[in-house]
Amino acid sequence: MSGIPDPEEFRAEARRWLSGVAKARPTRRAWGSGDDSVAVFENRTEAQEREHTDRTREWERTRHDQGWGALGWPKEYGGRELPAYYEQLYREEEAAFDVPRRTEIFPVTQQLVAPAIRVWGTEEQKRRWLRPMLRTDELACQLFSETEAGSDLAAVRTRAVRDGAGWVLSGHKIWTSGAGVATWGVTVCRTDPDVPKHAGITVFLVRMDAPGVTVRPIRQMTGGSSFNEVHLDEVFVPDTDRLGPVGEGWRVTLTVLAAERLDSGGLGLDNADRALDLARHLPRPLTGGERQQAAGLYVRALVQRLIGLRVTAALVAGREPGAEASVGKLHATATMRATTDLVQQLLGPRLAADTGEWGTFAWTEHLLGAPGYRIAGGSDEIQRNILAERVLGLPKEPKGAGR
Amino acid sequence: MFRLDADPALLLDSEERRQLRQILRQLLTETCGPEEVRKQTESPRGHDRVLWERLAGEIGVHGLAVPEEYGGAGCTFTELAVALEETGRVLSPVPLLSTVVLAGQALLGSGDRRACARWLPPLASGALTATVAGFLHPAGLTAERGPGGWVLRGEADFVPDGEGADLLLVRARTADGERLFGCEPDGATCDRTPRRVLDATRRQALVRFRGAPAEPVGEPGQASGIAESVVDAGRVALAAEHVGGSAHALDAVLDYASQRTQFGRAIGSFQAVKHRLADLLVEIEGARSASAYASACVSSRAAGVPVAASAAAVACTGAYRLATAEYVQLHGGIGFTWEHPAHLYVRRARGDEALFGTADDHRLRLAGLLGLAAGPTDH
Repeated sequence: MSGIPDPEEFRAEARRWLSGVAKARPTRRAWGSGDDSVAVFENRTEAQEREHTDRTREWERTRHDQGWGALGWPKEYGGRELPAYYEQLYREEEAAFDVPRRTEIFPVTQQLVAPAIRVWGTEEQKRRWLRPMLRTDELACQLFSETEAGSDLAAVRTRAVRDGAGWVLSGHKIWTSGAGVATWGVTVCRTDPDVPKHAGITVFLVRMDAPGVTVRPIRQMTGGSSFNEVHLDEVFVPDTDRLGPVGEGWRVTLTVLAAERLDSGGLGLDNADRALDLARHLPRPLTGGERQQAAGLYVRALVQRLIGLRVTAALVAGREPGAEASVGKLHATATMRATTDLVQQLLGPRLAADTGEWGTFAWTEHLLGAPGYRIAGGSDEIQRNILAERVLGLPKEPKGAGR
Repeated sequence: MFRLDADPALLLDSEERRQLRQILRQLLTETCGPEEVRKQTESPRGHDRVLWERLAGEIGVHGLAVPEEYGGAGCTFTELAVALEETGRVLSPVPLLSTVVLAGQALLGSGDRRACARWLPPLASGALTATVAGFLHPAGLTAERGPGGWVLRGEADFVPDGEGADLLLVRARTADGERLFGCEPDGATCDRTPRRVLDATRRQALVRFRGAPAEPVGEPGQASGIAESVVDAGRVALAAEHVGGSAHALDAVLDYASQRTQFGRAIGSFQAVKHRLADLLVEIEGARSASAYASACVSSRAAGVPVAASAAAVACTGAYRLATAEYVQLHGGIGFTWEHPAHLYVRRARGDEALFGTADDHRLRLAGLLGLAAGPTDH
């Protein structure tokens, strides 16, 4: 293939560009100063979330406009058609610079929703949505789960009823990250209650400022709110905002979920690295057991990165992002737990009581946030089912009474 | 900041490596079923000489990582790792690890052109078996210059395939420091006593040198550096074998769990079984990734080989332990019988750890390599 730069050249080029547009992060020597947040789910007020989102958007637009966003996308969408792992190479370089930390709404928009639109959207929809989403002018959230449809997502009860040139949506969605800043919500709806549950589903993109859409934050166990519940009260959606054919919504949903698993492979790596830095800077020698525990976390994080590279390298080789991505997500949630365990061991009482010391009590945000990802984006148990049934080919669980 | 030391493309099979894998799997399926492996290990030599020669001659496994000037194919360690994954999958008792990896890498690492020219071509052709002594475990070996040349004294224990090897590469103390020697052992000056072993597919011997003639390989003072990198290459080779063995265990359990019924259902349809197999898959995929990365590092002689080798050892011994434990457990009573091959894999997994280090040993080593061991004074 021509036009694909050598990985090392690409990195160097990325570094050159980054140093022109961003400030370098303080180096290791500066351990003990700067932002010590290791929050897994941000703990911000609405105003803070908006402010941070705006700053991140500005950075994403700079990237996009100067040819460093959408790296794997075709030129018509502002991309460079590079193999998928170049995104990872870029991110490794970007990590050395002081740029805004992307909250969940950004990967949801760019890595989950945009690829699904590319697969399922009409030409008109692709023209209308893809570039603005990749550039984050528009931000999309997932209106998927409901109180009675969690792991069994196909049991959704939010209804969409035809009404002239569009549809009227009514229902209640929950566990939506970024609903307060999103401009669009990708909504999984039941359009036909009389067919088996997977067949009666259709997906729509709903404007989050449409009349009838109400967003209410949910306070999670970290104390903060990054999830929301969203009420849809007779919301009108034009048929042109339907994604994929009527009744094919389950397949559209699976496309988004597969991308979500793929994107989850990088979870927890920053904090694992940070915990290893904590081990290096602890003001006492590590015990033998602590050394083994820290080295164990290093291996976990290394292996997680390698799994990610193998999954994305397989994408380049032309394979679909398969169920294998569940391997990455399960590995990632285990890394997050191992990070908590190491930090607990290293910090002792300073993890449980705030002494005001930099980089200590802040880890409670990781400890309390990490369990969320074992549930979000397909619980660990669902990932295991996916691996067992779709990768290993084991027989399916006998279904219950529901359709 | 985190940095990978190898090209991501090396983490996946190339078309050549896929073909090599396919050819080997076919040959080994024909020649190394569980019954054949038992017969081969019980034979006097402990392996099948015909298979050994076919691997060397027909497929060229022995010479994969040997430069062309010494009769090899001049490929990389990554290709050799493919072969080891396949032989590890069936527990073939051919002495590839000792001959091709340990001894082969010791010769290459010494940079001694004369020694390479003498021993690598027969090693690559399958005519010579070899191993190393004094590399893996502390040994009291000395060399001194006598009237007829150098002679070795002292003993080394746990020498892999030490009883039958035609050539021993020995790390011994001399008046000028440690040095590497090549010794073609002879019963008159060298006693080799086979140990009763946990894993019959990988023999070990106590080797006692009583003034055995030997030739220096490489320069004085090089030996510990060579030994370090040889043992790392051995760990990386072992990691590939472990991936193969673990993958076999998973496949065997999958077959069984799909066929065996209890309570009117295939046992593989119970979530309690499915989830354990999913967890095993996660471990094996991690092991496969770590192994591929470590092989790529050895292939490109990256500076990160020691870290990659120990990381692969942690990931792969962990996966192999789990895979072999589940191999027995998920077969129920039948998995606990002598006739069932599962215990051969348990023996291999645990025997290898004893030889090359447990995951905990490697975590400690990594802590040192990564700067996680020192106290605050080091910063």
